[in-house]
Amino acid sequence: MAFILCVVIFSLSTQKFLSTDNFLTVVMQASIIGTIALGVTFVVIGGNLDLSVGSLLSFATVLVVDLHDKVGPGTAILLMFVFTLLIGSVNGYLIGYLRLNSLIVTLGMLSAIQGITLVYSGGKNVDISDQTNTWFAFFGREALFGVPVPAIIFIVLGIILQIVLLKTGFGRKIFAIGGNATASLFSGLRRNRLVFSTYLLSAFTTGCAALILGSRVMGSQNNVGEGYELLVLAGVILGGTSLLGGSGSIARTVIGVLILAMIQNGLLLLGFPYYTQWLVTWVVIIVAVWLDIAAKRGKLFSTY
Amino acid sequence: MKVEIKAVRTLQNLGKVSLLAGSIISLGLSGMAQAETFRIGITQNNVGVDSYQTTYEQAFEDAAEEADNVEVVVLDAGGDVARQISQVRNLIQQQVDVIIIWPTDGQAVVPAINGARNAGIPVVVTNSNIAEAGQPLIAAFSGPNNIQQGAYAAEMMCDQLGGEGNIVQITGQPGYTTAIERQKGFEDRLPEVCPDVTILDSQPGDWNRAKAQRTMEDFLTRYDSIDGVYAADDNMGVGALNAAKSEDRAGEIIFIGATNFAVGYEAMARGEYHGSVYQSPAEDARNALSIAIAVAQGKEVDKMSYFDTPKITQENMGEFEKPVF
Repeated sequence: MAFILCVVIFSLSTQKFLSTDNFLTVVMQASIIGTIALGVTFVVIGGNLDLSVGSLLSFATVLVVDLHDKVGPGTAILLMFVFTLLIGSVNGYLIGYLRLNSLIVTLGMLSAIQGITLVYSGGKNVDISDQTNTWFAFFGREALFGVPVPAIIFIVLGIILQIVLLKTGFGRKIFAIGGNATASLFSGLRRNRLVFSTYLLSAFTTGCAALILGSRVMGSQNNVGEGYELLVLAGVILGGTSLLGGSGSIARTVIGVLILAMIQNGLLLLGFPYYTQWLVTWVVIIVAVWLDIAAKRGKLFSTY
Repeated sequence: MKVEIKAVRTLQNLGKVSLLAGSIISLGLSGMAQAETFRIGITQNNVGVDSYQTTYEQAFEDAAEEADNVEVVVLDAGGDVARQISQVRNLIQQQVDVIIIWPTDGQAVVPAINGARNAGIPVVVTNSNIAEAGQPLIAAFSGPNNIQQGAYAAEMMCDQLGGEGNIVQITGQPGYTTAIERQKGFEDRLPEVCPDVTILDSQPGDWNRAKAQRTMEDFLTRYDSIDGVYAADDNMGVGALNAAKSEDRAGEIIFIGATNFAVGYEAMARGEYHGSVYQSPAEDARNALSIAIAVAQGKEVDKMSYFDTPKITQENMGEFEKPVF
């Protein structure tokens, strides 16, 4: 609803907006945040939060870019996923098995992982030296049938995870533990294992996003993912996934993230000065959430 | 607490011993040499967070090693204002001769600087200047002239475009003094040298290559013809170059940055990138130390002691070493 409204408003205001090229640009720009948001959606539906993804993205991108020149792209990607999943499993263990509060754990991990990244890189920016002749360029810079690969990764991963969420027992169990933890426990669900797996999933999608980012930029700063955790969360919530857990969907997260990317792209195409963009972004988000709620209850204003 | 005090005492004693040793050696080497050794304390912003600061620290220590009349206390605030303030207090306690400060926050460190002044210790600010209110309190500022850097970029842009064209600007982090000054220097100088070059739009890239790349993609969608890009550092400039390359429009665009990074240097060597400003962290560090020594010796120094940040282009890049960051 809000999504369509955004498209209509921006298309009416500038003719550049509604071109296939620009649409693909928006999807591509949304793909990094979007890919992370896919995994985080599982975490949030399961009744937890993951604020560590921003630092994790920095870590994974620095790692894969730095290792690229040292051990070759294939091994670099493999190692990056190993270490990223390892960090994800630390999150999962602390929150799933030790039952610690996810907000505290992942907030702590946000700074811990940033520390690991800084120690690893010694503060230096990392770059890929030969940018033209590496197949690593595939993930961020190439296109299949005219569609940029980042967009394909984002959408294909989104479709797969949507099916996992809605059509498998695993997906339904995630809804159950997020909706009513006590009831799910009495139904014999292993909450600890399920929570653990949601954090593995968010680490995995963050690793995929790092592939896209590293390949697109062909280098990485230590803090490249700074602030992404909140953008990811904003996308997830804008899509209508409840922060309290138990409801939400991948498709809606995709739309939420696309709205965010579209606002950014649209405001720039319209030539808004930077400082007003903040304000307009906020207004658009509030209106989007409002319209969403209004559509659910059938009227604009609440009567009680 | 006690242990800490003991440690400080031990350090101070060590300092005295080495001070004595230093003066004996220098006396021995040349009878006429100045016997006085200065102690200079520095509190840096956030070493280790980027290569510039890492190189700066190394160069600073090397330069101190070479100078035989100086002993340095090197501290790092880790980007934390509170820690920096307590480090300044610490240096006042240790009664160093001069304090060099790389502000974590141009506003919040002013009271600490005032404290140093009241204790009779002159303060030299390095790299990024502090707020206007603190200016009367400091002995000197040592660092790059960001307004001049912006102006240099405007001149290079003008030269490369041959006097006319439409350009876009990607600025640094909003609110950051360096970003504001580079933008001002560029925008003030450009109409003077090239009245026929128009800035179509300015958007921030937050010193972030990925963000600059995204911003440039949107610029390329919005404008059918862009003749030049000015980015407030090469990191963002290369991001813009990446975006233009993926749209096959890099050939028609002049790319000018400020603060030459290794990636910018390499792109320049490939002929894809056109100009930047060469700012050496080692030069920055050496300048700060020599100004501080001059202050300690009671010499007159310029309040604004800038070090040279020359233009670098494809033609003269052979004269410069590839930046380490």
